[in-house]
Amino acid sequence: MVKRTLVCPNCKNKVTIQGDLGEKIQVICPNCKSKGIFTFPGGKSGLKTTDNSFAIEVRGLTKSFNNFKAVDDVSFNVRTGEIFGFLGPNGAGKTTTIKAMLNLIHANSGEIKINGLDITKKGKEAKKYVGFLPERVAFYNNLTALQNLCFYAKMKNASKEECKALIEEFGLGEAVNKKVGKFSKGMVQRLGMARAVIGNPPILILDEPSGGLDPRGVVLVRDKIREMKNKGTTVFVSSHILSEIQALCNRVGIINRGVLVAEDTVSKLSKRLNLKPKISVELEKMSDGIVKAVKKVDGIEDVQIINKIINVVCGPKKKAKVIVAIEKAGGNIINLHTIEPSLEEVFMKFTEGNQ
Amino acid sequence: MKMDAINPIVIVAKKEIMDNIRNKWIILVSVLFALLALLASYGGTISGEGWQGLEFTVTIMMGLVQIFISIIGLMLGYAAIIGEIERGSMEALLSLPTRRREILFGKFLGLGTVLTFTILIGFGIAGIVIGINVPDVDYGQYLIFIGASILIGLVFLNIGIFLSCVFQKRSTTMGGAIFVWFLFALIWQMILGVILVFTSSLEEIESTLSVPDWYHVLQLFNPLQTYSTLVSLNISPTMTTPGDITSFFYPSYYSSELMALILIVWIIIFFFLAFWRFKQRDI
Repeated sequence: MVKRTLVCPNCKNKVTIQGDLGEKIQVICPNCKSKGIFTFPGGKSGLKTTDNSFAIEVRGLTKSFNNFKAVDDVSFNVRTGEIFGFLGPNGAGKTTTIKAMLNLIHANSGEIKINGLDITKKGKEAKKYVGFLPERVAFYNNLTALQNLCFYAKMKNASKEECKALIEEFGLGEAVNKKVGKFSKGMVQRLGMARAVIGNPPILILDEPSGGLDPRGVVLVRDKIREMKNKGTTVFVSSHILSEIQALCNRVGIINRGVLVAEDTVSKLSKRLNLKPKISVELEKMSDGIVKAVKKVDGIEDVQIINKIINVVCGPKKKAKVIVAIEKAGGNIINLHTIEPSLEEVFMKFTEGNQ
Repeated sequence: MKMDAINPIVIVAKKEIMDNIRNKWIILVSVLFALLALLASYGGTISGEGWQGLEFTVTIMMGLVQIFISIIGLMLGYAAIIGEIERGSMEALLSLPTRRREILFGKFLGLGTVLTFTILIGFGIAGIVIGINVPDVDYGQYLIFIGASILIGLVFLNIGIFLSCVFQKRSTTMGGAIFVWFLFALIWQMILGVILVFTSSLEEIESTLSVPDWYHVLQLFNPLQTYSTLVSLNISPTMTTPGDITSFFYPSYYSSELMALILIVWIIIFFFLAFWRFKQRDI
């Protein structure tokens, strides 16, 4: 959402309005009741991904630095319109993969297509579709926030108005004419996100978007990612904050030591790993009898006791039996809920052996 | 070229120009050039009194200009690429819909414009002041001097940009630039001088006022020598300082055209070398 203060052409009264970038709204002056239409700048790049089912295709990407294989034969597809999470421990090859996707580094072998265009052969054309947030966000420190964004906007045929609106949207309205050299790490990160979405690109590539952000900034960025997705933008996001990825992403890819070890939805990955949901029951009083009774139930895989809470790992059709067993054993249930397998568990399994 | 290609070049060039105007050093250097020229004209000689003509000013200034413009060219160029890589802004710049050659050419164009205007303003002001004070000045020679100074400036600008594409750090790039400057401004002459002393008899050189052919050929590979030759060939021969090593008779193939051509070729060669390195580079 962006705020704008307009001056009524009729009675010079000031009106503050709210809306999304590119949105057209009717404004009625509360003073003299005259009407007008205001269009928020930006929001329409005119660029749409062509009829490709894949926004990003990576085939057999391999990149070595000296003798170290940073990325080894990595292949994956990012479907048009989805949010794809790219995970991996530090140094696993995430940033190397992302840099290769934009031809910032030259792969030893492999093929990368952005919107169907080969990045090494049609890079300039392909990059028109991409908004990029690098891992290390940097600007020209001697220029103001607005001057910086305008420089990038010119390259993407976006307007100064859009830059102003974006700076405001990312909560930097008061710093619009401040030199970026005087910005805090979090402010630079927010401005980096604003830069990535200039011109409303159909594909967003974000390398650790919440790095250096305060909780408010994290929420702001997450909301923006959702907003972009709702507009049909494809988002490729790397992060080490797993809860965030789980909340946002349709599918994830997990890279470990340069090798892509998984690519699927979180639930399918957990199924494949045989991770089962847990049922967590809080009791008024815990007793050995209850624990024994629960352990006797068919198809129970694991039982953990934490004070008055009993966690039971079981298949989906066994939950009711567990509850019945507890009540039969005289347990008085205060609270109960199920815990789905988390991305964290999936991640830990796939990156085992990595310290 | 399509508009599509010109646009990013112009945007990058404009940014470089604005950056340097903002840094105000373009003004500082222009003033420095003007002061140097005026000083050389008014007080740079023992033989004359008051304002001297432009030929005289040029002769006095040639040595100084060589030193200053080569340093300024290297200073403008050496951070062009490595500065952005080290700062981290290169990643965002290259993620925009541009090609690397467009960015590099935009930088050259912008920095080249800054350098050219600095020289034009500095020497232009001096030329006008001298012209007002001295009757019958030959502006033709002075214009050639300004043109040659711009060319040598652009050569060193592109050497700087090339170094910027080669080294991995800003600090080592600066080291490289300092080495290049010492090489062409001092070491070159010293080495050629030493070889000359060991291979030829000094009496012969003194009596004939000529040096072996290889000496003249090797001198063509030092852009600073090419520059001073170009300037010397175009100002009245009586004005060259006697006794100076550069006052040996030039071989017949030394011409203004050849010297200008060599400088232009240096500019192009270093631009392509820079591009070749930049293109392959991992950011």
